[in-house]
Amino acid sequence: MRDAQSFDDFYRSTARRMVRYGYAVAGDHSEAQDLVQEAYTRAWRQWGRLSSHPAPEAWLRLVVARLATDRWRRLHRWRAVLSQTGPPAVAPPPSEDGVLLVGALRQLPAVHRQALALHYLFDMSVDEIARETDVPVGTVKSWLSRGRSRLAALLPDLCTVELEANDVS
Amino acid sequence: MSVELSDLYRSLSTVADGHELTRPESLRRFADRRARARIAGSTLAVALLVGGVAVGARLAYPADGAAPLPPPADTAGPVPTAATPRPSTPPAPSTPPASTPPSPPPSRTTPGTSSQPATGTAAPRSPTAIPDRAFFVLAAANRTGMESRGDGPALPVLCGTRLASDSAMVQRRGRYLAYKLAQTPTGNVPDGSYRHTITIYRAGRANDAVRELRRAVRDCPDQRLPDDGRTWRQRLLTSGTYGDESVLFEMRAPMPDGMGEPGTEEVRLVRAIRLGDVVTVLWEQGWEHTAAERSQVDADSRRAVAAIEDWLN
Repeated sequence: MRDAQSFDDFYRSTARRMVRYGYAVAGDHSEAQDLVQEAYTRAWRQWGRLSSHPAPEAWLRLVVARLATDRWRRLHRWRAVLSQTGPPAVAPPPSEDGVLLVGALRQLPAVHRQALALHYLFDMSVDEIARETDVPVGTVKSWLSRGRSRLAALLPDLCTVELEANDVS
Repeated sequence: MSVELSDLYRSLSTVADGHELTRPESLRRFADRRARARIAGSTLAVALLVGGVAVGARLAYPADGAAPLPPPADTAGPVPTAATPRPSTPPAPSTPPASTPPSPPPSRTTPGTSSQPATGTAAPRSPTAIPDRAFFVLAAANRTGMESRGDGPALPVLCGTRLASDSAMVQRRGRYLAYKLAQTPTGNVPDGSYRHTITIYRAGRANDAVRELRRAVRDCPDQRLPDDGRTWRQRLLTSGTYGDESVLFEMRAPMPDGMGEPGTEEVRLVRAIRLGDVVTVLWEQGWEHTAAERSQVDADSRRAVAAIEDWLN
């Protein structure tokens, strides 16, 4: 039996974080909203089981990341189609820095975006990211390191001191 | 002015926070409505499939037991399932016809084989180039409008096996196309996608390609794919009669957490069909871990055969 009240509470307490995460891994806000809504839809469908999951938010992040990765791959395949139809209109950005970062993130592989988002949005350590993504610690370190290096190359104003300090954490 | 990455992520959060979210009650209603629609769609599909097979068996199979004739490339198949109802209007070409000059029909050098294949005539053909019209058009009810001519492999990885017949390729063309099931409303996320390729082989070598593929599947009952922690299981299925010969195999893996319907497996279907020296492969790749439906792949395989036969004949 699914308890709607507990689902609604879970949704209200996590949705904002999840949209931020979706935005960071998908690189597009409407795409992020779509992904997050899809992830919560799947969560509600399985809420009877998921409500007793030890970490339902981590489960949700995993679903968002998988959906984003799948769509990212497809976007590359469909780019010929997309170039014909054109991207949707972009809303005026309230924060130039955030938009700059998203523009740069779009040029990173999906796993790099995922690792960076878990680290910077959820303050997760390398070990925690490795557990969540089910890959070795060394792989996460490599994702973070390569992701930061690429961002540094794409964002010339980025402070590289912080990158080096975080790389050893 | 230098900025730190953590500051940039804070700015990103600010951007993300500026948008309203759906209320949880609305989301639950949407999820329940979709689940009900899926159940209803599946039940309807099974009912129509059973009915369709019964009716189709009467209409499409001649009394002497010979196989049905293939559908023309621009119409629905003769034994449509619920997933592929006959379109009410003729489908438009999925690729721009203007880019390909009309190809003259290839001359047939020898008569057909002694055993009549199910999908029609089967004279050996020796084409040298693949025109746009060789690619089938989805039934109107299945179209999403998403098609791309991106590069990509024709077949999934099968324990790293390389097919020796690849060296005998004359030309290969491929595309990706997304489809929806007939009961899925227009505008929804697609239900699946295909990697569809057509390959011309040097005379007599297409048989090798099919034989090698069959062996590669048999020799690779399970495998792990890069970037995927799951174990995939492969097995040959009875393909049915398509073209001169065909191979159908499935790939199965447990659904990743949160993907697909609870308790289901991810299923991919791949069918390679030989018509003379041409082999076409329809590799169902799903959409966000959907499971391939055999009836849909069968219907689109018939369309693929019909389009190639139209081209070759």
